[in-house]
Amino acid sequence: MVWLAEQLGVLTKIFYYLIQVVHWTILISVSAYILALVLGLIFGIARISRNRFIRGLAGIYINVLRGVPLLVLIFFFYFGLGKFINLDRFVAGVIAVGVCYGAYMAEIFRSGIEAIDYGQHEAAMSLGMTRWQTLRHIILPQSFRIVVAPGANEFIACLKDSSLVSIIGLRELTRAGREYAAQYFLDFHTWLMVGLIYLIMTLTLTRLVKRLEKKFAIHGYGASRDDH
Amino acid sequence: MIIEIKDVVCRFGTVTALDGISLAVKQGEVVVVLGPSGSGKSTLLRCLNALEEIQSGEINVDGFLIDRNHRQIHQIRLEVGMVFQHFNLFPHLSVLENVNLAQRVVRKRSKVEAARVSSELLEKVGLEDKVGAFPGQLSGGQKQRVAIARALALNPKIMLFDEVTSALDPEMIGEVLEVMKQLAREGMTMLIVTHEIGFAREAADRVVFIDAGKIVEEGSPQEFFSNPRNPRTKEFLAHVL
Ligand SMILES: Nc1ncnc2c1ncn2[C@@H]1O[C@H](COP(=O)(O)OP(=O)(O)O)[C@@H](O)[C@H]1O
Ligand SMILES: [Mg+2]
Repeated sequence: MVWLAEQLGVLTKIFYYLIQVVHWTILISVSAYILALVLGLIFGIARISRNRFIRGLAGIYINVLRGVPLLVLIFFFYFGLGKFINLDRFVAGVIAVGVCYGAYMAEIFRSGIEAIDYGQHEAAMSLGMTRWQTLRHIILPQSFRIVVAPGANEFIACLKDSSLVSIIGLRELTRAGREYAAQYFLDFHTWLMVGLIYLIMTLTLTRLVKRLEKKFAIHGYGASRDDH
Repeated sequence: MIIEIKDVVCRFGTVTALDGISLAVKQGEVVVVLGPSGSGKSTLLRCLNALEEIQSGEINVDGFLIDRNHRQIHQIRLEVGMVFQHFNLFPHLSVLENVNLAQRVVRKRSKVEAARVSSELLEKVGLEDKVGAFPGQLSGGQKQRVAIARALALNPKIMLFDEVTSALDPEMIGEVLEVMKQLAREGMTMLIVTHEIGFAREAADRVVFIDAGKIVEEGSPQEFFSNPRNPRTKEFLAHVL
Protein backbone atom coordinates (compact mmCIF):
# COMPACT_ATOMS: atom_id res chain seq x y z
CA MET A 1 0.00 0.00 0.00
CA VAL A 2 2.71 2.37 1.04
CA TRP A 3 4.63 1.47 -2.10
CA LEU A 4 1.66 2.15 -4.32
CA ALA A 5 0.97 5.48 -2.65
CA GLU A 6 4.61 6.39 -3.12
CA GLN A 7 4.50 5.53 -6.82
CA LEU A 8 1.36 7.52 -7.33
CA GLY A 9 2.92 10.42 -5.52
CA VAL A 10 5.93 10.38 -7.85
CA LEU A 11 3.71 10.14 -10.91
CA THR A 12 1.49 12.96 -9.74
CA LYS A 13 4.51 15.14 -9.17
CA ILE A 14 5.78 14.42 -12.68
CA PHE A 15 2.33 15.07 -14.07
CA TYR A 16 2.18 18.52 -12.50
CA TYR A 17 5.66 19.26 -13.74
CA LEU A 18 4.90 18.24 -17.30
CA ILE A 19 1.50 19.84 -17.49
CA GLN A 20 3.19 23.20 -17.17
CA VAL A 21 4.82 22.84 -20.58
CA VAL A 22 2.08 20.97 -22.39
CA HIS A 23 0.81 24.24 -23.82
CA TRP A 24 4.00 24.41 -25.88
CA THR A 25 3.19 21.08 -27.46
CA ILE A 26 -0.29 22.31 -28.22
CA LEU A 27 0.96 25.66 -29.50
CA ILE A 28 3.50 24.05 -31.83
CA SER A 29 0.99 21.54 -33.18
CA VAL A 30 -1.79 24.07 -33.68
CA SER A 31 0.50 26.64 -35.35
CA ALA A 32 2.11 24.00 -37.54
CA TYR A 33 -1.29 22.59 -38.44
CA ILE A 34 -2.68 26.00 -39.41
CA LEU A 35 0.35 26.50 -41.65
CA ALA A 36 -0.20 23.01 -43.04
CA LEU A 37 -3.85 23.78 -43.79
CA VAL A 38 -2.98 26.91 -45.71
CA LEU A 39 -0.13 25.28 -47.62
CA GLY A 40 -2.21 22.16 -48.18
CA LEU A 41 -5.09 24.11 -49.66
CA ILE A 42 -2.82 26.16 -51.92
CA PHE A 43 -0.74 23.23 -53.16
CA GLY A 44 -3.71 20.86 -53.28
CA ILE A 45 -5.47 23.24 -55.66
CA ALA A 46 -2.22 23.96 -57.53
CA ARG A 47 -1.77 20.22 -58.05
CA ILE A 48 -4.87 20.15 -60.25
CA SER A 49 -4.23 23.47 -61.97
CA ARG A 50 -4.58 23.62 -65.74
CA ASN A 51 -1.18 25.29 -65.86
CA ARG A 52 1.50 22.62 -66.23
CA PHE A 53 4.15 24.73 -64.57
CA ILE A 54 2.09 25.36 -61.44
CA ARG A 55 1.07 21.71 -61.34
CA GLY A 56 4.70 20.65 -61.60
CA LEU A 57 5.81 23.02 -58.88
CA ALA A 58 3.17 21.70 -56.50
CA GLY A 59 4.22 18.16 -57.36
CA ILE A 60 7.80 18.94 -56.47
CA TYR A 61 6.79 20.46 -53.14
CA ILE A 62 4.62 17.50 -52.22
CA ASN A 63 7.09 14.81 -53.24
CA VAL A 64 10.15 16.45 -51.75
CA LEU A 65 8.54 17.23 -48.42
CA ARG A 66 7.00 13.80 -48.10
CA GLY A 67 10.25 12.14 -49.05
CA VAL A 68 12.44 13.73 -46.39
CA PRO A 69 12.30 12.65 -42.71
CA LEU A 70 10.71 15.29 -40.50
CA LEU A 71 13.69 15.21 -38.18
CA VAL A 72 15.96 16.19 -41.06
CA LEU A 73 13.58 19.03 -41.96
CA ILE A 74 13.74 20.30 -38.39
CA PHE A 75 17.56 20.24 -38.47
CA PHE A 76 17.52 21.93 -41.83
CA PHE A 77 15.24 24.78 -40.79
CA TYR A 78 16.96 25.34 -37.44
CA PHE A 79 20.63 24.62 -38.03
CA GLY A 80 20.78 24.75 -41.83
CA LEU A 81 18.92 27.98 -42.40
CA GLY A 82 20.35 29.17 -39.09
CA LYS A 83 23.59 29.74 -40.96
CA PHE A 84 21.95 32.58 -42.88
CA ILE A 85 19.06 33.85 -40.85
CA ASN A 86 18.44 33.65 -37.17
CA LEU A 87 15.30 31.63 -36.78
CA ASP A 88 13.88 31.25 -33.33
CA ARG A 89 13.48 27.61 -32.14
CA PHE A 90 9.74 27.87 -32.07
CA VAL A 91 9.48 29.44 -35.52
CA ALA A 92 11.91 26.95 -37.07
CA GLY A 93 10.11 24.04 -35.47
CA VAL A 94 6.66 25.23 -36.53
CA ILE A 95 7.80 25.84 -40.10
CA ALA A 96 9.45 22.43 -40.35
CA VAL A 97 6.41 20.57 -39.06
CA GLY A 98 4.04 22.87 -41.00
CA VAL A 99 5.66 22.46 -44.41
CA CYS A 100 5.92 18.74 -43.86
CA TYR A 101 2.27 18.34 -42.95
CA GLY A 102 1.34 20.84 -45.66
CA ALA A 103 2.47 18.24 -48.17
CA TYR A 104 0.26 15.57 -46.61
CA MET A 105 -2.66 17.97 -46.40
CA ALA A 106 -2.17 18.94 -50.05
CA GLU A 107 -2.64 15.32 -51.05
CA ILE A 108 -5.73 15.05 -48.87
CA PHE A 109 -7.23 18.21 -50.39
CA ARG A 110 -6.35 17.13 -53.90
CA SER A 111 -8.01 13.76 -53.51
CA GLY A 112 -11.00 15.45 -51.87
CA ILE A 113 -11.39 17.75 -54.84
CA GLU A 114 -10.88 14.97 -57.36
CA ALA A 115 -13.47 12.82 -55.60
CA ILE A 116 -16.22 15.20 -56.69
CA ASP A 117 -18.10 13.98 -59.73
CA TYR A 118 -17.05 15.72 -62.95
CA GLY A 119 -20.72 16.42 -63.64
CA GLN A 120 -20.59 19.02 -60.87
CA HIS A 121 -17.90 20.95 -62.77
CA GLU A 122 -19.89 20.67 -65.98
CA ALA A 123 -23.11 21.86 -64.41
CA ALA A 124 -21.32 24.84 -62.89
CA MET A 125 -19.58 25.65 -66.17
CA SER A 126 -22.84 25.41 -68.09
CA LEU A 127 -24.24 27.99 -65.66
CA GLY A 128 -21.46 30.37 -66.64
CA MET A 129 -19.45 29.99 -63.46
CA THR A 130 -15.70 30.51 -63.64
CA ARG A 131 -13.24 27.92 -62.36
CA TRP A 132 -12.79 29.86 -59.15
CA GLN A 133 -16.48 30.32 -58.56
CA THR A 134 -16.97 26.62 -59.18
CA LEU A 135 -14.21 25.69 -56.78
CA ARG A 136 -15.43 28.02 -54.10
CA HIS A 137 -19.19 27.43 -54.24
CA ILE A 138 -19.47 23.89 -55.57
CA ILE A 139 -16.34 21.81 -55.22
CA LEU A 140 -14.70 22.86 -51.97
CA PRO A 141 -17.85 22.75 -49.83
CA GLN A 142 -18.44 19.19 -51.00
CA SER A 143 -14.77 18.21 -50.67
CA PHE A 144 -14.78 19.56 -47.15
CA ARG A 145 -17.11 16.80 -46.05
CA ILE A 146 -14.75 14.25 -47.54
CA VAL A 147 -11.52 15.65 -46.14
CA VAL A 148 -12.73 16.51 -42.67
CA ALA A 149 -11.92 13.11 -41.16
CA PRO A 150 -8.56 12.42 -42.83
CA GLY A 151 -7.64 16.09 -42.35
CA ALA A 152 -8.36 15.98 -38.65
CA ASN A 153 -6.41 12.74 -38.34
CA GLU A 154 -3.40 14.57 -39.69
CA PHE A 155 -3.67 16.91 -36.74
CA ILE A 156 -3.33 13.96 -34.39
CA ALA A 157 -0.25 12.80 -36.27
CA CYS A 158 1.06 16.35 -36.20
CA LEU A 159 0.61 16.53 -32.45
CA LYS A 160 2.63 13.36 -31.97
CA ASP A 161 5.32 14.49 -34.38
CA SER A 162 5.67 17.80 -32.56
CA SER A 163 7.73 15.80 -30.03
CA LEU A 164 10.53 15.78 -32.61
CA VAL A 165 10.93 19.51 -32.15
CA SER A 166 12.36 18.73 -28.69
CA ILE A 167 15.61 17.93 -30.48
CA ILE A 168 16.37 21.61 -31.13
CA GLY A 169 15.86 22.46 -27.48
CA LEU A 170 12.32 23.72 -27.44
CA ARG A 171 10.89 22.88 -24.03
CA GLU A 172 7.70 21.17 -24.98
CA LEU A 173 6.39 17.96 -23.45
CA THR A 174 9.07 15.56 -24.66
CA ARG A 175 11.96 17.92 -23.93
CA ALA A 176 10.71 18.60 -20.43
CA GLY A 177 10.36 14.86 -19.88
CA ARG A 178 13.96 14.31 -20.95
CA GLU A 179 15.19 16.96 -18.56
CA TYR A 180 13.14 15.62 -15.69
CA ALA A 181 14.25 12.04 -16.25
CA ALA A 182 17.87 13.07 -16.42
CA GLN A 183 17.70 15.17 -13.31
CA TYR A 184 15.93 12.69 -11.02
CA PHE A 185 16.90 9.40 -12.70
CA LEU A 186 13.20 8.61 -12.96
CA ASP A 187 13.20 7.41 -16.55
CA PHE A 188 10.48 4.81 -16.19
CA HIS A 189 8.00 7.05 -14.39
CA THR A 190 8.74 10.08 -16.51
CA TRP A 191 8.39 8.43 -19.91
CA LEU A 192 5.33 6.59 -18.72
CA MET A 193 3.75 9.91 -17.81
CA VAL A 194 4.90 11.66 -21.00
CA GLY A 195 3.34 8.87 -23.03
CA LEU A 196 0.18 9.02 -20.98
CA ILE A 197 -0.26 12.74 -21.54
CA TYR A 198 0.17 12.33 -25.32
CA LEU A 199 -2.27 9.45 -25.20
CA ILE A 200 -4.91 11.46 -23.35
CA MET A 201 -4.66 14.20 -25.97
CA THR A 202 -4.73 11.87 -28.97
CA LEU A 203 -7.57 9.71 -27.63
CA THR A 204 -9.65 12.79 -26.91
CA LEU A 205 -9.02 14.04 -30.42
CA THR A 206 -9.78 10.67 -31.95
CA ARG A 207 -13.20 10.70 -30.32
CA LEU A 208 -13.74 14.23 -31.55
CA VAL A 209 -12.87 13.22 -35.11
CA LYS A 210 -15.41 10.37 -34.93
CA ARG A 211 -18.06 12.89 -33.94
CA LEU A 212 -17.09 15.28 -36.73
CA GLU A 213 -17.17 12.45 -39.22
CA LYS A 214 -20.72 11.53 -38.24
CA LYS A 215 -21.89 15.11 -38.26
CA PHE A 216 -20.66 15.80 -41.77
CA ALA A 217 -21.36 12.41 -43.31
CA ILE A 218 -25.14 12.34 -43.23
CA HIS A 219 -26.66 14.84 -45.52
CA GLY A 220 -23.75 15.72 -47.79
CA TYR A 221 -22.85 12.19 -48.75
CA GLY A 222 -26.32 10.71 -48.76
CA ALA A 223 -27.42 13.39 -51.16
CA SER A 224 -24.54 13.07 -53.58
CA ARG A 225 -24.84 9.24 -53.63
CA ASP A 226 -28.49 9.58 -54.30
CA ASP A 227 -27.87 11.83 -57.20
CA HIS A 228 -26.98 8.90 -59.42
CA MET B 1 -30.63 32.18 -87.14
CA ILE B 2 -29.94 32.00 -83.45
CA ILE B 3 -27.61 29.01 -83.80
CA GLU B 4 -25.31 28.52 -86.77
CA ILE B 5 -23.05 25.51 -86.87
CA LYS B 6 -20.72 25.32 -89.86
CA ASP B 7 -18.57 22.30 -90.80
CA VAL B 8 -17.76 21.53 -87.19
CA VAL B 9 -15.23 18.83 -86.44
CA CYS B 10 -14.67 17.67 -82.89
CA ARG B 11 -12.15 14.95 -82.06
CA PHE B 12 -11.12 13.13 -78.92
CA GLY B 13 -7.69 11.76 -79.70
CA THR B 14 -8.26 9.45 -82.64
CA VAL B 15 -12.06 9.37 -82.26
CA THR B 16 -13.93 11.82 -84.44
CA ALA B 17 -17.12 12.62 -82.54
CA LEU B 18 -18.37 15.30 -84.94
CA ASP B 19 -17.29 14.91 -88.52
CA GLY B 20 -18.21 18.10 -90.33
CA ILE B 21 -21.62 19.01 -88.99
CA SER B 22 -23.62 21.99 -90.21
CA LEU B 23 -26.91 23.01 -88.70
CA ALA B 24 -28.85 26.25 -88.39
CA VAL B 25 -31.60 26.75 -85.86
CA LYS B 26 -34.19 29.51 -85.93
CA GLN B 27 -35.29 31.43 -82.90
CA GLY B 28 -38.06 29.51 -81.15
CA GLU B 29 -37.43 26.31 -83.07
CA VAL B 30 -37.50 22.94 -81.29
CA VAL B 31 -34.99 20.52 -82.78
CA VAL B 32 -34.88 16.91 -81.66
CA VAL B 33 -31.60 15.13 -82.26
CA LEU B 34 -31.77 11.38 -82.76
CA GLY B 35 -29.04 8.87 -83.38
CA PRO B 36 -27.48 5.66 -82.11
CA SER B 37 -25.34 5.63 -79.01
CA GLY B 38 -21.89 7.12 -79.62
CA SER B 39 -22.97 8.95 -82.76
CA GLY B 40 -22.02 12.37 -81.34
CA LYS B 41 -25.32 13.75 -80.04
CA SER B 42 -23.98 14.78 -76.64
CA THR B 43 -20.84 16.20 -78.17
CA LEU B 44 -22.91 18.37 -80.51
CA LEU B 45 -24.86 19.83 -77.60
CA ARG B 46 -21.75 20.26 -75.46
CA CYS B 47 -19.97 22.16 -78.23
CA LEU B 48 -22.79 24.71 -78.26
CA ASN B 49 -21.96 25.46 -74.65
CA ALA B 50 -18.20 25.33 -75.18
CA LEU B 51 -17.92 22.35 -72.89
CA GLU B 52 -15.94 20.72 -75.70
CA GLU B 53 -13.38 22.29 -77.95
CA ILE B 54 -13.81 22.03 -81.68
CA GLN B 55 -10.89 21.44 -84.03
CA SER B 56 -12.34 23.14 -87.07
CA GLY B 57 -15.48 24.86 -88.26
CA GLU B 58 -17.43 27.59 -86.58
CA ILE B 59 -20.27 27.89 -84.13
CA ASN B 60 -22.27 31.06 -83.70
CA VAL B 61 -24.78 31.38 -80.91
CA ASP B 62 -26.91 34.50 -80.76
CA GLY B 63 -24.27 36.42 -82.66
CA PHE B 64 -21.37 35.24 -80.51
CA LEU B 65 -18.60 33.10 -81.94
CA ILE B 66 -18.17 30.16 -79.57
CA ASP B 67 -14.57 29.80 -78.54
CA ARG B 68 -13.53 28.06 -75.35
CA ASN B 69 -10.68 30.45 -74.86
CA HIS B 70 -12.79 33.50 -75.38
CA ARG B 71 -12.49 35.89 -72.48
CA GLN B 72 -16.23 36.15 -72.22
CA ILE B 73 -17.07 32.50 -72.52
CA HIS B 74 -18.78 32.61 -69.13
CA GLN B 75 -21.06 35.36 -70.36
CA ILE B 76 -21.83 33.52 -73.57
CA ARG B 77 -22.71 30.39 -71.62
CA LEU B 78 -25.46 32.34 -69.89
CA GLU B 79 -27.33 32.45 -73.17
CA VAL B 80 -27.36 28.68 -73.35
CA GLY B 81 -28.95 26.61 -70.58
CA MET B 82 -28.18 22.93 -70.32
CA VAL B 83 -29.89 20.02 -68.61
CA PHE B 84 -28.02 16.75 -68.15
CA GLN B 85 -29.00 13.11 -68.03
CA HIS B 86 -27.75 12.74 -64.46
CA PHE B 87 -29.21 16.02 -63.17
CA ASN B 88 -25.89 17.20 -61.70
CA LEU B 89 -27.68 19.14 -59.00
CA PHE B 90 -25.46 20.51 -56.26
CA PRO B 91 -26.09 18.05 -53.42
CA HIS B 92 -24.86 20.33 -50.64
CA LEU B 93 -27.33 23.08 -51.54
CA SER B 94 -31.08 23.18 -51.06
CA VAL B 95 -33.41 23.31 -54.03
CA LEU B 96 -33.76 27.05 -53.67
CA GLU B 97 -30.00 27.56 -53.37
CA ASN B 98 -29.42 25.38 -56.42
CA VAL B 99 -31.58 27.73 -58.45
CA ASN B 100 -30.25 30.85 -56.75
CA LEU B 101 -26.51 30.30 -56.91
CA ALA B 102 -25.62 31.18 -60.49
CA GLN B 103 -28.07 34.07 -60.48
CA ARG B 104 -26.17 35.48 -57.54
CA VAL B 105 -22.57 34.83 -58.52
CA VAL B 106 -22.83 35.00 -62.31
CA ARG B 107 -25.77 37.26 -63.06
CA LYS B 108 -24.97 39.30 -59.93
CA ARG B 109 -28.59 39.58 -58.95
CA SER B 110 -29.54 40.67 -55.47
CA LYS B 111 -30.67 38.09 -52.96
CA VAL B 112 -34.24 39.28 -53.14
CA GLU B 113 -34.33 39.38 -56.92
CA ALA B 114 -32.77 35.90 -57.20
CA ALA B 115 -35.20 34.45 -54.68
CA ARG B 116 -38.11 35.98 -56.56
CA VAL B 117 -37.00 34.48 -59.88
CA SER B 118 -36.34 31.12 -58.23
CA SER B 119 -39.73 30.87 -56.56
CA GLU B 120 -41.43 31.79 -59.79
CA LEU B 121 -39.59 29.10 -61.70
CA LEU B 122 -40.00 26.45 -59.03
CA GLU B 123 -43.70 27.14 -59.12
CA LYS B 124 -43.66 26.82 -62.88
CA VAL B 125 -42.10 23.34 -62.67
CA GLY B 126 -44.47 22.42 -59.85
CA LEU B 127 -41.99 22.29 -56.99
CA GLU B 128 -42.90 25.32 -54.91
CA ASP B 129 -43.27 23.05 -51.87
CA LYS B 130 -39.73 21.68 -52.22
CA VAL B 131 -37.71 24.89 -51.95
CA GLY B 132 -36.09 23.85 -48.67
CA ALA B 133 -35.46 20.22 -49.62
CA PHE B 134 -32.05 18.89 -50.59
CA PRO B 135 -31.49 17.03 -53.88
CA GLY B 136 -30.98 13.78 -51.99
CA GLN B 137 -34.55 13.98 -50.77
CA LEU B 138 -36.13 14.30 -54.22
CA SER B 139 -37.30 11.76 -56.77
CA GLY B 140 -35.56 11.62 -60.14
CA GLY B 141 -38.36 13.51 -61.86
CA GLN B 142 -38.29 16.22 -59.23
CA LYS B 143 -34.50 16.53 -59.50
CA GLN B 144 -34.73 16.96 -63.24
CA ARG B 145 -37.38 19.66 -62.88
CA VAL B 146 -35.14 21.50 -60.42
CA ALA B 147 -32.31 21.21 -62.95
CA ILE B 148 -34.55 22.77 -65.60
CA ALA B 149 -35.50 25.60 -63.24
CA ARG B 150 -31.84 26.13 -62.40
CA ALA B 151 -30.93 26.52 -66.06
CA LEU B 152 -33.93 28.78 -66.80
CA ALA B 153 -33.06 31.06 -63.89
CA LEU B 154 -30.33 32.71 -65.94
CA ASN B 155 -32.84 33.61 -68.69
CA PRO B 156 -31.07 31.71 -71.45
CA LYS B 157 -32.16 32.19 -75.03
CA ILE B 158 -31.48 28.56 -75.87
CA MET B 159 -32.00 25.38 -73.88
CA LEU B 160 -30.10 22.12 -74.45
CA PHE B 161 -31.49 18.83 -73.14
CA ASP B 162 -29.24 15.77 -73.24
CA GLU B 163 -31.26 12.60 -72.64
CA VAL B 164 -32.87 14.20 -69.63
CA THR B 165 -35.38 11.39 -69.14
CA SER B 166 -33.03 8.46 -69.73
CA ALA B 167 -32.13 8.04 -66.06
CA LEU B 168 -35.71 8.33 -64.84
CA ASP B 169 -38.16 5.67 -63.76
CA PRO B 170 -40.88 5.39 -66.45
CA GLU B 171 -43.60 6.91 -64.28
CA MET B 172 -41.57 10.12 -63.91
CA ILE B 173 -40.76 10.73 -67.55
CA GLY B 174 -44.11 12.37 -68.27
CA GLU B 175 -43.78 15.15 -65.69
CA VAL B 176 -40.41 16.23 -67.13
CA LEU B 177 -41.56 16.07 -70.76
CA GLU B 178 -44.58 18.13 -69.78
CA VAL B 179 -42.35 20.94 -68.54
CA MET B 180 -40.36 20.79 -71.76
CA LYS B 181 -43.50 20.94 -73.88
CA GLN B 182 -44.63 24.00 -72.01
CA LEU B 183 -41.28 25.65 -72.67
CA ALA B 184 -41.63 24.84 -76.35
CA ARG B 185 -45.08 26.42 -76.40
CA GLU B 186 -43.64 29.55 -74.83
CA GLY B 187 -41.27 29.88 -77.74
CA MET B 188 -37.97 28.73 -76.25
CA THR B 189 -35.34 27.65 -78.74
CA MET B 190 -34.48 24.07 -77.82
CA LEU B 191 -32.10 21.32 -78.89
CA ILE B 192 -33.21 18.03 -77.44
CA VAL B 193 -31.44 14.70 -77.52
CA THR B 194 -33.97 12.05 -76.59
CA HIS B 195 -35.17 8.55 -77.27
CA GLU B 196 -38.78 9.53 -76.60
CA ILE B 197 -40.15 9.23 -80.11
CA GLY B 198 -43.67 10.18 -79.06
CA PHE B 199 -42.37 13.40 -77.60
CA ALA B 200 -40.38 14.12 -80.77
CA ARG B 201 -43.45 13.66 -82.95
CA GLU B 202 -45.49 15.96 -80.79
CA ALA B 203 -43.07 18.71 -79.80
CA ALA B 204 -40.39 18.90 -82.47
CA ASP B 205 -40.41 21.36 -85.34
CA ARG B 206 -37.57 19.43 -86.89
CA VAL B 207 -35.86 16.09 -86.36
CA VAL B 208 -32.17 15.65 -87.06
CA PHE B 209 -30.62 12.21 -87.31
CA ILE B 210 -26.91 11.84 -86.60
CA ASP B 211 -24.77 8.84 -87.35
CA ALA B 212 -21.01 8.59 -86.86
CA GLY B 213 -20.65 12.31 -86.32
CA LYS B 214 -22.58 13.33 -89.44
CA ILE B 215 -26.12 14.50 -90.01
CA VAL B 216 -27.50 11.89 -92.35
CA GLU B 217 -31.12 12.99 -92.48
CA GLU B 218 -33.35 15.77 -91.25
CA GLY B 219 -36.90 16.92 -91.71
CA SER B 220 -40.20 17.65 -90.09
CA PRO B 221 -41.38 14.93 -87.67
CA GLN B 222 -44.11 13.87 -90.09
CA GLU B 223 -41.84 13.26 -93.05
CA PHE B 224 -38.98 11.96 -90.93
CA PHE B 225 -40.96 9.29 -89.11
CA SER B 226 -43.35 8.28 -91.87
CA ASN B 227 -40.98 8.42 -94.78
CA PRO B 228 -37.31 8.05 -93.81
CA ARG B 229 -35.01 7.92 -96.82
CA ASN B 230 -31.56 7.04 -95.48
CA PRO B 231 -30.99 3.31 -94.83
CA ARG B 232 -29.32 4.10 -91.46
CA THR B 233 -32.35 6.10 -90.40
CA LYS B 234 -34.67 3.29 -91.42
CA GLU B 235 -32.61 0.80 -89.47
CA PHE B 236 -32.57 3.05 -86.41
CA LEU B 237 -36.30 3.73 -86.53
CA ALA B 238 -37.01 0.01 -86.94
CA HIS B 239 -35.32 -0.48 -83.59
CA VAL B 240 -36.97 2.33 -81.64
CA LEU B 241 -40.46 2.48 -83.07
N1 LIG C 1 -14.44 13.17 -73.28
C1 LIG C 1 -14.30 12.22 -74.24
N2 LIG C 1 -13.13 11.59 -74.39
C2 LIG C 1 -12.98 10.67 -75.36
N3 LIG C 1 -13.92 10.29 -76.20
C3 LIG C 1 -15.14 10.87 -76.08
C4 LIG C 1 -15.38 11.85 -75.10
N4 LIG C 1 -16.66 12.27 -75.22
C5 LIG C 1 -17.18 11.55 -76.24
N5 LIG C 1 -16.27 10.71 -76.77
C6 LIG C 1 -16.49 9.82 -77.92
O1 LIG C 1 -17.07 10.56 -78.94
C7 LIG C 1 -18.08 9.79 -79.59
C8 LIG C 1 -19.41 10.51 -79.50
O2 LIG C 1 -19.82 10.56 -78.14
P1 LIG C 1 -21.17 11.22 -77.67
O3 LIG C 1 -21.27 12.56 -78.24
O4 LIG C 1 -21.22 11.09 -76.19
O5 LIG C 1 -22.25 10.24 -78.31
P2 LIG C 1 -23.79 10.10 -78.00
O6 LIG C 1 -24.19 11.19 -77.06
O7 LIG C 1 -24.45 10.21 -79.33
O8 LIG C 1 -23.98 8.75 -77.41
C9 LIG C 1 -18.08 8.44 -78.92
O9 LIG C 1 -17.28 7.56 -79.69
C10 LIG C 1 -17.45 8.70 -77.60
O10 LIG C 1 -16.79 7.55 -77.15
MG1 LIG D 1 -24.95 11.04 -75.08
